[in-house]
Amino acid sequence: MDNHSNSSEITFHHEFDREAGRKEVVKVTVILSVITLIELALGFWLISLEGDFFRLLVKGVICVLMLAKAFYIVAYFMHLKHEIRAMIMTIVVPLLLFIWFIVAFLYDGNSYKNLKNTYDPYHYEQSQIKVEKTEHAPAHGAEEHKDAKKEGTME
Amino acid sequence: MSHEVNMHGQSEVITTHEVHHDEHHGHHHKETFITKYIFSQDHKMIAKQFLVTGIIWAIIGGLFSVLFRLQLGFPNETFPFLETILGKWAEGGKLNPEFYYALTTMHGTVLVFFVLTAGLSGTFSNFLIPLQVGARDMASPFMNMLSFWFFFAASIIMIASLFVQTGPASGGWTSYPPLSALGDASEGSKIGMDLWLIAMALFVVNSLLGSLNYISTILNMRTKGMSMTRVPLTIWALLFTAVLGVLSFPVLLSGFILLLFDRHAGTSFYLSDIFLASTQKALPNEGGSAILYQHLFWFLGHPEVYIIILPTMGLVSDVMSANARKPIFGYMAMVGSMFAIAVLAFLVWAHHMFVTGLNPFLGAFFVLLTLLIAVPSAIKVFNWLTTLWKGNLRFTPGMLFSIGFVSLFISGGLTGIFLGNSTLDIHLHDTYFVIAHFHIVMGVSAFFGMFAGLYHWFPKMFGRFMNNTLAYIHFWITLVGAYLIFWPMHYQGLAGVPRRYLDFSGWASFNQFDGLNRFISIVTIIVFAVQLLFVFNFFYSMFKGRRVRTQNPWGATSLEWTTPINPGHGNWEGEIPEVHRWAYDYGKDGREFIPQTEPVGANETPEGKH
Amino acid sequence: MAQAVPAEQKWWSGGKSPFNVEYGKLMMWYFLMSDAFTFGAFLISYGTIRFSSNSWPDPNEVFQSFPGLGSGLPLMFVSLMTFILIISSVTMVLAVQAGHAMDKKGVVRNLVLTIIGGIAFLSCQAWEWTHMFHEGAWWGSNPFLNIDGTKASTNFTNFFFTITGFHGFHVFSGVIINIIMLIMTLNNVFEQRGHYLMIEKAGLYWHFVDLVWVFVFTVFYLV
Repeated sequence: MDNHSNSSEITFHHEFDREAGRKEVVKVTVILSVITLIELALGFWLISLEGDFFRLLVKGVICVLMLAKAFYIVAYFMHLKHEIRAMIMTIVVPLLLFIWFIVAFLYDGNSYKNLKNTYDPYHYEQSQIKVEKTEHAPAHGAEEHKDAKKEGTME
Repeated sequence: MSHEVNMHGQSEVITTHEVHHDEHHGHHHKETFITKYIFSQDHKMIAKQFLVTGIIWAIIGGLFSVLFRLQLGFPNETFPFLETILGKWAEGGKLNPEFYYALTTMHGTVLVFFVLTAGLSGTFSNFLIPLQVGARDMASPFMNMLSFWFFFAASIIMIASLFVQTGPASGGWTSYPPLSALGDASEGSKIGMDLWLIAMALFVVNSLLGSLNYISTILNMRTKGMSMTRVPLTIWALLFTAVLGVLSFPVLLSGFILLLFDRHAGTSFYLSDIFLASTQKALPNEGGSAILYQHLFWFLGHPEVYIIILPTMGLVSDVMSANARKPIFGYMAMVGSMFAIAVLAFLVWAHHMFVTGLNPFLGAFFVLLTLLIAVPSAIKVFNWLTTLWKGNLRFTPGMLFSIGFVSLFISGGLTGIFLGNSTLDIHLHDTYFVIAHFHIVMGVSAFFGMFAGLYHWFPKMFGRFMNNTLAYIHFWITLVGAYLIFWPMHYQGLAGVPRRYLDFSGWASFNQFDGLNRFISIVTIIVFAVQLLFVFNFFYSMFKGRRVRTQNPWGATSLEWTTPINPGHGNWEGEIPEVHRWAYDYGKDGREFIPQTEPVGANETPEGKH
Repeated sequence: MAQAVPAEQKWWSGGKSPFNVEYGKLMMWYFLMSDAFTFGAFLISYGTIRFSSNSWPDPNEVFQSFPGLGSGLPLMFVSLMTFILIISSVTMVLAVQAGHAMDKKGVVRNLVLTIIGGIAFLSCQAWEWTHMFHEGAWWGSNPFLNIDGTKASTNFTNFFFTITGFHGFHVFSGVIINIIMLIMTLNNVFEQRGHYLMIEKAGLYWHFVDLVWVFVFTVFYLV
């Protein structure tokens, strides 16, 4: 323990048990791997899954699993779970801002789509035209973009 | 797993300060001119560097407003001297329309970011945090120095953008695409826009390095006895400011990175369905959304206005309490309302976008959240007024500016309630009503808070007083002038006069405001001249002002007045004092004030406030 | 390894670190918070544009190649990348723990493994980018069709290259930081200092890179 005393900002030191630490790492590694495998399995299932509702449901489950993985990485690998409660709060509470950040942005993105489809029928028609599938579909945008470059319209 | 507690005895607990800054103990170490004044790591010197850079920027930014006010007030006159100074930007003595937009854009950018963010919180966070919490310096003095030099680099690039062939950015300080994303859209969208974006990216780095330091210092390096409920309100305000900066500036950075890709990599994050008149071409860009940029910008942009106003709220609270010789009214309510403001800052950004294509149903939530801000703001105002109530007021320049701040904050805040409603915004958006609102509530009042802080802490910064007569002239003309400039703009805005227009002579209905516009412009010039008087007073007093003879000239309680009159690097000679009480023991037990360092006496009235 | 701190301790009365950590670690945490908002803004922008599009390309058609095995293998390559990053995170934790135990050899071994993992991940990313570039994908150019067979805007590739590029830049700087840590360890800098707290801070950064990948992986490859 004495070798820690150089950092005096740390008033109390953890009794560090390397064996227990290693066990925890192994446990978390297994959990992370298993969750990733479940995610991948769901991802494969999604490829052939029909029906909007079920697709959405599976995607929702994948997002929950994503958050679970994030929790294990932050709590154990980044050791946050073992810090003082007040410090955990200063990090977790600001993250709550993401809720409104995500909800408002995505809701407005969706609204923008509906507005365009409603008030710009040409846009809607264009977006419904199916293109013949080829091995490498012609690069949309790429050629036109090159044209634009030639004309010197882009900065 | 054993949980053996390795506890040092209380006497063995070394405080943070001693450890990091042993080398600064006393000030015998050699300092060259360069390490002392240029690449200094002393928080007080860095604060002064921010301050002086901020003053230079404020003069430049203010001058811009004088120039475009000349155009707005006297649209039919010509000013040949303008051509002498500005050359082709003012051919024949009249402002070129492109240059008019560049001026308004740079006026906004400079004052919002370079003066009222870096100049204000850069100065006072650096200067006051270590002094008021009892630390020898910032947590990382080196990063603190880097922070200033990133700001300096940003300043150089922004200045350089004024001198490029096609002129500086001219799409408004918000830089909305497509104007900012397409080089062909306007003169100011070319290289000037790129320089603007690079300067702003460097500015974000400056803000991040600074804010991380402020937070860590406040949390980790307070002296013994200085609990968070004993720190002056300035410290709370600066803490919340730093938190806002850390969480909101990165979002702006992301938005800028996407914008840079749109400009140079042929992406269409913000672009869709565009026909460019200047080149007579339809652009291939599809699928982007200009509203996305607005969301990203205002996710920073709204917290940004609190980054500007919160520090001044803290400064004003302290200056007011010290000069009213009364404890601040409702300390915890002040902290709570600042916390509420900091949280709400992140929830209301889209009220800047009510009429840009935002979903109206979503807008309703933003109206509700926006109007909620009135609650903590009102709490603060009532607390300032009750602090003044029956106080033994000393009308020092700092105190006058504090009172002026409260007056302006009320006047400007009330119009915010109008603008927070999405329905009223249909009429009021992009009019002079908006200009009047935000200039009063965050522009002028933030300046008032800053002046209050400067007059109050000038003796601590330079060991001299500023000239009082000049200060009183400065205060009265600025206060009256600010109201004379911005009050009439409310009427113009209600009548529908749009902002960002070069010339209104085409509208018969706005002709009635010709005289008013001329009046506003004349007052603007007078007020600007008086600010130059302040600058003169500042630099003159720095070298020739009346010397400070006592350690605590204002009879204030907080810790910075326990340092020597001209503190060296390390702030205190010998031990850092221990703190025994809060910072607002004024007029207690028949004593005028009791410093924070004095132990609580046996017969003393118990502290009721915390 | 529960908290070995008495509950009644007055953390906030000043004179000591209220969080029981040095300021550098605190700064690193808050820097990562800030960076989380940078990445958050990118990913949320991606979501916003995706929500405002009538259709979007199918990741399983875009990412279906594996070096040496040809195409038609959706999700395989990205699984490899994900596991490389998870494993490198594990070795980083082990390096931090070895640092706590003042075990220089352990620190060196695990840091080397972490650096190898980081370089492996970057190599995978380089391969994937090159492969996609040869298919005609780049900033401003998208050869892939939407899942419903309609023409896609370029924003799928725009966001893909921007966000994975920004993440890759973080991995790259993480590798550089780890190499610096390795050199400092080999030069006995931490041994003389008496603690390996710098490794802990580098570790926080490295785990954050892994954390971001969890989100990038999910939103770009899975859903």
